Amino acid sequence: MSASKIAWINDSYAKMTRYNFFRRVNWGRFSVVSVPYLWLAIFFFIPFVVVFKISLSEAAIAVPPYTPILDWNLEEAYVTLKISLSNYLFLLEDDFYLSAYLSSIKVAAISTFFTLLVAFPIAYLMARTEGSTRALLLALVILPFWTSFLLRVYAWMGLLKKNGLINETLMSLGLIDQPLIMMQTDFAVYIGIVYTYLPFMVLPLYSALEKMDMTLLEAAEDLGARPYQSFFLITLPLAMPGVIAGCLLVFIPAVGEFVIPALLGGSDTLMIGRVLWDEFFLNRDWPMASGVAVVMLIILVLPIMLIRNSQGKEGAA
Amino acid sequence: MTIKKALTLSVCSALLAGNALADDKVLNIYNWSDYIEPEAITRFEQETGIKVNYDVYDSNEVLEAKLMAGGSGYDVVVPTGAFLERQLQAGIYSKIDKSKLSNLGNLDAALVEKISSHDEGNLHNIPYAWGTVGLGYNVDAVKARLGDMEFDTLDLIFNPEVTAKLKDCGIGVLDSPAEVMAIAQNYAGVDPNSESKKDLKKGAEVLEKVRGDYKYFHSGKYISDLANGDVCVALGYNGDILQAQSRAEEAGQGVNVSYAIPKEGTLIWFDLLAIPSDAPHPEAAHRFIDYILQGDTAAGISNYVYYAVPNKAAEPLLNEDVISNPGIYPSEAVKAKLFAQKAHTARFDRLLTRTWVNIKTGR
Amino acid sequence: MTSPQHTDLSQISERTNVQLPSWKSDAQPFVQIENITKKFDDFIAVDNISLDIYKNELFCLLGGSGSGKSTLLRMLAGFETPTSGRILIDGVDMAGIQPWSRPVNMMFQSYALFPHLTVAENVAFGLKREGIRGAEVKQRVTEMLDLVQLGHLGKRKPNQLSGGQRQRVALARSLIKRPKLLLLDEPLGALDKKLREETQFELINIQDELGVTFVVVTHDQEEAMTLASRIGVMNHGVIVQTDEPQDVYEYPNSRFVAEFVGSVNLFEGQVTVDEPDTVCVTSPEAGGELCVNHGISCAPNQDVHVAVRPEKIRVSETRPDQTYNCLQGTILDIAYMGSLSVFKVKLASGKEVRVTQPNTNRESGGRFTWDDSVYLSWDMDSCVVLTS
Repeated sequence: MSASKIAWINDSYAKMTRYNFFRRVNWGRFSVVSVPYLWLAIFFFIPFVVVFKISLSEAAIAVPPYTPILDWNLEEAYVTLKISLSNYLFLLEDDFYLSAYLSSIKVAAISTFFTLLVAFPIAYLMARTEGSTRALLLALVILPFWTSFLLRVYAWMGLLKKNGLINETLMSLGLIDQPLIMMQTDFAVYIGIVYTYLPFMVLPLYSALEKMDMTLLEAAEDLGARPYQSFFLITLPLAMPGVIAGCLLVFIPAVGEFVIPALLGGSDTLMIGRVLWDEFFLNRDWPMASGVAVVMLIILVLPIMLIRNSQGKEGAA
Repeated sequence: MTIKKALTLSVCSALLAGNALADDKVLNIYNWSDYIEPEAITRFEQETGIKVNYDVYDSNEVLEAKLMAGGSGYDVVVPTGAFLERQLQAGIYSKIDKSKLSNLGNLDAALVEKISSHDEGNLHNIPYAWGTVGLGYNVDAVKARLGDMEFDTLDLIFNPEVTAKLKDCGIGVLDSPAEVMAIAQNYAGVDPNSESKKDLKKGAEVLEKVRGDYKYFHSGKYISDLANGDVCVALGYNGDILQAQSRAEEAGQGVNVSYAIPKEGTLIWFDLLAIPSDAPHPEAAHRFIDYILQGDTAAGISNYVYYAVPNKAAEPLLNEDVISNPGIYPSEAVKAKLFAQKAHTARFDRLLTRTWVNIKTGR
Repeated sequence: MTSPQHTDLSQISERTNVQLPSWKSDAQPFVQIENITKKFDDFIAVDNISLDIYKNELFCLLGGSGSGKSTLLRMLAGFETPTSGRILIDGVDMAGIQPWSRPVNMMFQSYALFPHLTVAENVAFGLKREGIRGAEVKQRVTEMLDLVQLGHLGKRKPNQLSGGQRQRVALARSLIKRPKLLLLDEPLGALDKKLREETQFELINIQDELGVTFVVVTHDQEEAMTLASRIGVMNHGVIVQTDEPQDVYEYPNSRFVAEFVGSVNLFEGQVTVDEPDTVCVTSPEAGGELCVNHGISCAPNQDVHVAVRPEKIRVSETRPDQTYNCLQGTILDIAYMGSLSVFKVKLASGKEVRVTQPNTNRESGGRFTWDDSVYLSWDMDSCVVLTS
C-alpha cells in the first residue's frame, strides 16, 4: 500500500472518528479485534471450562457418567455445590501419571530435537535457493499434507516392517542377513513423529532464515569466524524465533500424540495420550480423564507463556 | 374460524404428521462395521418402507461413550454382553416389548440362557450374533517351530517355553484387558470373572512371563499381519481370524491361516440388539429386531460375516462351509467349556487397566 | 554529475604532501595484484588487472556499477576466488587463505551489523574470535568506540541507531582487529549528503591516526576525490587509469576517464602539428585550431579528441588575442548556481560547449545574457589531447 493511500485512510478514519465515534468506527474496530478472541473463546476456552468442570466431579454410572457439581431442588429449596479434588489428588499421589507425563515429554522432546535437526538443513537450503528451485522445495515439504495423515503413517509401516521395503532392499543388497526390527520400537515412533511434523518445523525456520542477510555471514567470516562459528554465533541466534516457533509447533502436539505411538510404537511406549484414552474408555472415568487432560494443558501452556513473556520483555527493552 | 386458528391447526397437523413419519418411517441403527449382509438392510427398507440410517463403530468403548453422553439419537445398537450389563446400571436401555416380536421362537434357548447372566430375564436384549476369542495361527510357520502337535491350546501364547520358540515369527494379542485377563485367569486355574486381587495377580503373572515374547498388543492389526505372515500366532476374535484366513487365501502367497478354540476353554461373547431408552423410533426398532430374528435374515448375515447367529430357524439355510466350520459353530462339547465375561465394578476396572498398562509397558 | 571543481582540491594536495607518496618511491608494494581475472560463467567481471597498493595509502577504486570494482574488493577479502592471477598482501600469497585467516577486514556497504548483538558486542566480535577475552576486550572496544565517538552507545542494539551511527559502528568493528588492510565498500553510500561530507574527513583522520592501508570502492567521483591518495578508475573489468586525484582530473588518459570524472567538453579533430612540447589539432567541430603544450604519441592525421574542463574556459565579448583555443558561439542557456554560473554556448558547427564561470563579484553573473555572441578561449596547458 502506498504511503499516500495510507495517509488517505488515516485521514478519512480521523474524520469518521470525529463524526460518529460510537456509532460506526468503534464497533467496527471492536468486531475486528474480537474475532480472534471469539474464536479462542468458542474453540478453546469454553471446551476447557467444560473439561475442567468434569474434572471436579466424580465418576458415576449414569448419563452423563459423572456426578453433577451443582444440584438443586426448587421444591425443597436447596442448592448444593459439590467440588471433588480427588482426581487431582489421585494424579499427584500415583506416580504412574507422573511417569506417563515424563515419558511423553521425553518422547516429544527427542522427536522435536530430531525434527529440528532434519528440518534445519531443508529450511536453510530453501532460504538460500532462488525462484523455481525454492518453489519446488516448498512444494515438496507441503505436498505430503495433501494425503491423509493415517495413510502416510501406514506407508511407514510398509517401509519399516520386517519384510518391508527397507529390510528387503538392505537384504537384497547383502548389507544385512537378518531383517532389522524397526516396527514396534521407539525408533519407529521417532521416525513417525519427525516425518509427520517436519513441515511445522521447516516453515517457521524457513521464514526466519529467509529474512537473514547473507552478508552477515561474510562479515562474521571477515572478522575471523570459521563457518561453524558463524553458524552458531550468527545464523542460529537469528533463526531463534523460527526455532522456538517450530519446536513449540512440534513439541506440543507430540506430547499428546496418540495415533503414531499406537500404530508404529511398541506396547511398552507409555504416552499420556494413551493414558487419557484408557481413563476415558477402559475405566470409563470421565472426571479422571478430564483431570489428566487439564494437567497436560497446564504442563504445556505454562512454559509457552513463560517463553512468550520473556520474549515480550526482550522486545520491549 | 379465524385465519389465525386455521393456520395454527394446519401447523399442528403438519407437526403431527411429521412426528408420525419420524416414528414410523425412519430407523437409526448403530452397529459394528462389516457386521451385516448389506442386502438385509435394503430388503428391510423395501418390505417396511422404513428409511434406515446405518452408522458403524469398531469398538464397544466408542459406542458406550456416545450412549453415556446422552442424546445419541440411535434406535438400535449392538453392544457386547458385558458392556450391556454395565450400561443397564445407568438405565440407558428400554425394555423390549416381546409381544411385538413374532419370530422370538427362532432363538436358540440354550444360548439365550447364557446371556441372562448379563441381563436378568433378558428383558433388554435380543442376541444378534456370537463368537469366541481364540487362536489364529500360521499353520506352516508354527509347525516348523513346534513340530507336529495339536495347536488348540493356550500354551501357544501363555507357555513361556512355547512362546520363546514363536517369538521370532511374531505373536500378537488383543489389546483388551478385560477379555485377555479373563482368559489368562482361566488358564491360571482361577475363576475368569473373579475380581479378587489375588486372582488378578495370577492372571497377570501368566502374562508377565510371556510378555517379552509378544510383538504387540493390538485389537485389529493381527488381521492383516496374520494374512501376510507378519505374525504367526494371534489371540483374537474368531470372525477376524477367519477373515485373515480368507485374505491369505486370496493373496495366494502360501500363507495358511487356521483358527482354533483353545481346549483350556475361552471366552464366548454375545453381541446384543438393544434399544436405547431415548430412542426416537422404538416402533421401527422393534420391527427391525423382529426382522433380524427371521431365519432367512439371520442365515444371510451368518453366511456373510462368518459369525454364528443364535437362531435355530437359520441353521438349515446356512452355507455348508459356515455350519460345518468348528471355528464358527463349535461342537456342544467345546461349547460347554466356553465362559461369558461379566461386567466389572469401576474399582476393578481401574485396577485391571493399571495392571494391564504395567504388563504392556513392562513396568 | 555534480561538479568536482568545487571540491577543495587544496586540501587533497596538502594531505598528499604531508605523507610520503610511497607509490613514487621504491618501497615494496603492500598489496600486489598480479594479472587477476575473475569470470562468472561467461561474464568477465575482472579482466587481467595488475595493481600495486602501498602502505598507508587510501586507494579508491572508482567505477560505475558492473565495472568489477566490488568483485576486485571481494577477491582481496577472500569471498571470491580469482579465476587466474594472484594476490599478495604484505608479501604473502593469498591463494587458498580463507577470509577468516586473512590480515584484512572489510566494512560492508550495508554495514552488516549483527542485529542480535549490542554495539559493543558487534565491535568485540572480531577480538573474541582471536581468543582475546575479558578486560582486554573491554578496553579495546571502549577505545575503538571512543575513536568513532560512540562511547556512550555500547549497550544499544543496531536497530536503535541512526544511519551515521551504524556506519561508525561498522567502521569500529572492522578496525578493532587492527588489520593491515581495510576494505571499504561504498562506505558513505548510505548516508545523506551533509553527513557524508562530515564523515569523509573523519574517515581520513582515522586512517591517518591508525596508519592502516585503506582500499575504498565507490561509484561517487566526488567521494573518491576527497578521500583518495590515489584513484584507480575502473571500466568493464579493467583499470583504465591509476593516478593521484588531481592528475586523474587534470590529465585524464581517455575519453572514459575524462567524462566519468567531472564534466568535460570534447572536440574531435586531426593532429596537424606534432612536436615534443606542442600538439595542435584542427577541429571542424570547434571551428578552429586547438593546441596543447604537451606531446603525445600518435600517427599523423590521427583522429583524436581535445578535452577541456568547463571551468578552464574563459568567456569574453571581444575576440581574445590568440589564434588557437579560441571559439565563437552564442549563449544558449545560462544557469545561475550561486557560487558559479553555467553557460551553454552553441558553436557555428552546432556543437554545444559547457562553460562555468565563478561569480567572483555580484555583477559578474549578469555580464552576459541569452543569445549574446561570445568568444570562448583557454590556455594551452588547460586542455589535454586524448588518443583513446
